[in-house]
Amino acid sequence: MADLAYYCLWAAVALTAAALLGNLVLLTGRRTAAERKPHSNDASGAVVGDERVVAKVGSVAWVATLLIRLATIVMTASLVFRIIAVGHAPFSNQHEFACAFFWGILLAYVFFEWRYRIRMLAIGALPLAFIAGIYAAAGTDHSVDSLLPALQNHLLLTAHVITAVLGYGAAAVSCAAAFLYLIAPKVRWRGMPAQDLLDEIGYKGIVFAFPLLTIMLVLGALWADIAWGKYWSWDPKETAALVTWLIYGAYLHARVTHGWQGNRSAWLLMLGFVAIVFTFTGNYWFGGLHTYGGQ
Amino acid sequence: MSTAQAPTPVDDDLDITHVQLLYRVYALFYNKTFGLFLIFATTVLSLLGVLIMQAPKEVRGDPDMYASWLTSVRPKYKGLTSLLDATGMFTMFSSWPFRIVIVLLVLSIIACTVHRLPLLWRNAQHPHLDVRESLFDRARVHRTIEVPGTPVQARETAKAKLAEEGYRLVETSDDTHGVNLYADKFRWFPFGTVLAHLAFCLILLGALITANFGFDDDYFPVPVGTDAVEVGHGTNLSIKANSFTDSYNNDGRPMDYAADVTLYKGGEEVATHVIRVNDPLKYDGVSFNQASFGFALQMLVKDAQGKTLYSGAIPLEYQSADQKKVFGSVELPGQDLTMYAVSNASGVEDEELPAGNVLVQFFGPDKASAAVASEVLSQGQETPVGNYQVTFVRERQFTALMVSKDYGAPYVWAGSILLVLGTICTMFLRHKRIWLRFHPSSGGTQLRLASPDRHDVSYTRSLDAMLTSLNPTATTTDTTKTGDTNHG
Repeated sequence: MADLAYYCLWAAVALTAAALLGNLVLLTGRRTAAERKPHSNDASGAVVGDERVVAKVGSVAWVATLLIRLATIVMTASLVFRIIAVGHAPFSNQHEFACAFFWGILLAYVFFEWRYRIRMLAIGALPLAFIAGIYAAAGTDHSVDSLLPALQNHLLLTAHVITAVLGYGAAAVSCAAAFLYLIAPKVRWRGMPAQDLLDEIGYKGIVFAFPLLTIMLVLGALWADIAWGKYWSWDPKETAALVTWLIYGAYLHARVTHGWQGNRSAWLLMLGFVAIVFTFTGNYWFGGLHTYGGQ
Repeated sequence: MSTAQAPTPVDDDLDITHVQLLYRVYALFYNKTFGLFLIFATTVLSLLGVLIMQAPKEVRGDPDMYASWLTSVRPKYKGLTSLLDATGMFTMFSSWPFRIVIVLLVLSIIACTVHRLPLLWRNAQHPHLDVRESLFDRARVHRTIEVPGTPVQARETAKAKLAEEGYRLVETSDDTHGVNLYADKFRWFPFGTVLAHLAFCLILLGALITANFGFDDDYFPVPVGTDAVEVGHGTNLSIKANSFTDSYNNDGRPMDYAADVTLYKGGEEVATHVIRVNDPLKYDGVSFNQASFGFALQMLVKDAQGKTLYSGAIPLEYQSADQKKVFGSVELPGQDLTMYAVSNASGVEDEELPAGNVLVQFFGPDKASAAVASEVLSQGQETPVGNYQVTFVRERQFTALMVSKDYGAPYVWAGSILLVLGTICTMFLRHKRIWLRFHPSSGGTQLRLASPDRHDVSYTRSLDAMLTSLNPTATTTDTTKTGDTNHG
C-alpha cells in the first residue's frame, strides 16, 4: 500500500508538471490587440477572472484544468493509501509533511482557480506545487516508520498538521497572486488579470490561511503542554511558525496602513511564504523538539 | 569677561499641557504605522532568536556555566560573540530588547483597540444614513439600475429581497435625497477584531504569569524502586517510580516510554499513573511529564559513628567532555560536601575503573579545587572514603520527569479560544453595508446602490444577483473600484 501511495505521488507530480506546461504555453504568449482590454469586469459589472478557464472541451485550457484536478484527486488517493499503510494520519515525518504540503497547494490552487476563474494563478502556484511534489517524491525517505512516542497523539497530530498544510496551501496561492501582482506591470502575458483582482486573491488566501495558522499554533501549544509539559518552549520550529504568523499579521495590518498597500503588501505575502518554507524545512538546520520531523 | 545672560524664554507656542502630552503619546500608540513597526520589530527579534543559538535554560542561571557556554560558541560567532552577548541575543526571549518591544506592542494594541471602538460602535448601532449623492458615484461598488414602480414600491421590493438574505434594514426619506434604504449584515462581527487583539494581550498576560509564578522543573530524576522523592516547591507532594519501561521496534526506533508512578501528598497515596509522553499525570495543578531516562547508582553513606547521612540513588545525568564517563552528584546533608559518583559510559572500558565499580569523589564548597577524598568502590562493599563509609549498593534505572505548576496556562487557553474566534469573525464575517437610493424616472424608478466596503468578488456578485432579480431585463451601469476600507 505504501508503494501504491508512492506511485500516486509520482503520478500527481507528473500531472502537475503537464498542467503547468499547458498553462505556460497558453498564457505567457504576448497579448494581441483585441486581448489588451482589461477583463476585470464582466457585462453585469461582476468581477471575474480569465474567461479561458471555462474552456471548450478538448482545448489546451480544458486539458490543463482537467490535469490539475486529476493531480489533486490522485494526490488525495496517495494520502489515503499512505494512511492505510501507516495506520495514522500521514503527518509524522518529512516525507509525509512534504506530501501533505504538496496536496495542500494543489487543493488551494484548484479551489481558487474554480472560485475566481483565474488561470494565470497556475503560473505562480503550480511551480510551488511541483517543487513540493518533487521534494516529497525524490528528496525525502518514503519508508514507513512507526510513530515516535512524542507523536503518539492521533487527534492532535492530525488536527495540528492538517491546519498547517491547508494554511500553507492557501498561503502558497497568496504568494502566487502577489508574485503576479508584482510582475503584472512588467509583462504582456495574454492571461494576466487586473492587479486589483490579484490583490484580492492574495488577501483572500490569507483570509483562509491566517485563521488556520492561528489554530495550528494554538493546537501546537496545547499539544506541547500535554507532551512536553509547557505550552511554549521557544523551540526553533515553533518560533519560526510564530514568525510566519507575525508576518501575515503584519500583512493584514499593512493593508490598512497608509503607504503600505499595493507592492509592499505583495512583498509581505512573498516574505510570508518564504517564512513558511523556512519553517517547513527547518528540521534540517534547527535543533530542538521538532527534530523528529527531519528524519 | 562674559556677562550673565537671562535664560531664553520658552516659546509659549511650543509648550504643551500634560494632557496634550498624554494625548500625543496615546496618538503614537494608536498610530497604525507605529503598530506595524512594532509587529515587524517582534518578528525580526523572534527570527534572530531562531537563527542565533540560544543559551540553554540550565546555563543561564549560573555565571560560570554561561561563561563556559559562551566560550563554546565563540568559534562560531567569532568577533560578534561579545556584541551578541551584550545585546542579549543569546537569551533573546528574556532579553530587554524583546521585553520592551512586547510591552510596546501590547500598549499599541490596547490604544488601537480603544481608539477604534467608537467607530465600530457607530457603524454597528448608528450608521450614517444621510449620505451624499456622490457616494453613489464613488463608492467601491456602485450600481445604477432602472426598476419598475414608484420609488416607494421599488424600495419595498428591495427590502423584501434584502430581508431574505438576512440584512438589517433602515429606511429614510427626505426632501433632499428622496427615498433611501440602508441595509447591513454581520454588524457585530467587526468586534471580532477587538476580541482577537485583546486575546493576544491575554495570552501575553498568561505568559507573564507563567514566567513569574508557579514552578517549572525541566529535569526531575526519580530512581526506580527507591523511596518517593520530594517534589518540593511547597507542594507537600512526593513521587515514587515503581517501574520504567522503554520499548523499541526491531529497527531500534523508540516505541514507548512508560513510567509507572505513585504520588503521595503528606505521605498519603493520592494517585497512581503510568506516565507516557502524551499522557502526563496531573494532580492539584501540578503536572508530571515524561522527559527522559537513564541509570542511577544506589549509594549508602555513613559518618564515622555509623549514622546514615545519605541513602538513595544518584542519577548519572552528566557526561564528561570526552564522553567516556557518566556521573551524578548529591550534596551530603549538613556536611558541606558534594559527593560525585562516576561510572564508565556505555561500551567504554577503563582499567582504572573496572566494570561493576564506581568512582566516588568528595568535593568541598569550591568544586574547582581538588577532590577532598576519592576512591573506587566495588558493588556491595562498604569502603572508607575520607571520613565516611560509602557503599555502592546497586545500579538502578531512573526516569526523569518534567514537573510544573503553571498559573498562567488558563489565561493562555482562554486567550487562544478568543483569538481563534475573533480571527474567524474578522476574516469570514465582514460587516456588509449597502446604501440604496430610489429616484423617480421616466421608466419607473432609478435605483442607485453603493457599498464602500472592500472589493470582493463574491460580495459583488451577490449584489448584482440581487439587482438583477429586481429587474431581470434592466441594464446595470456600474463600477467597482479597488482598494480597502478597514478591517482588523
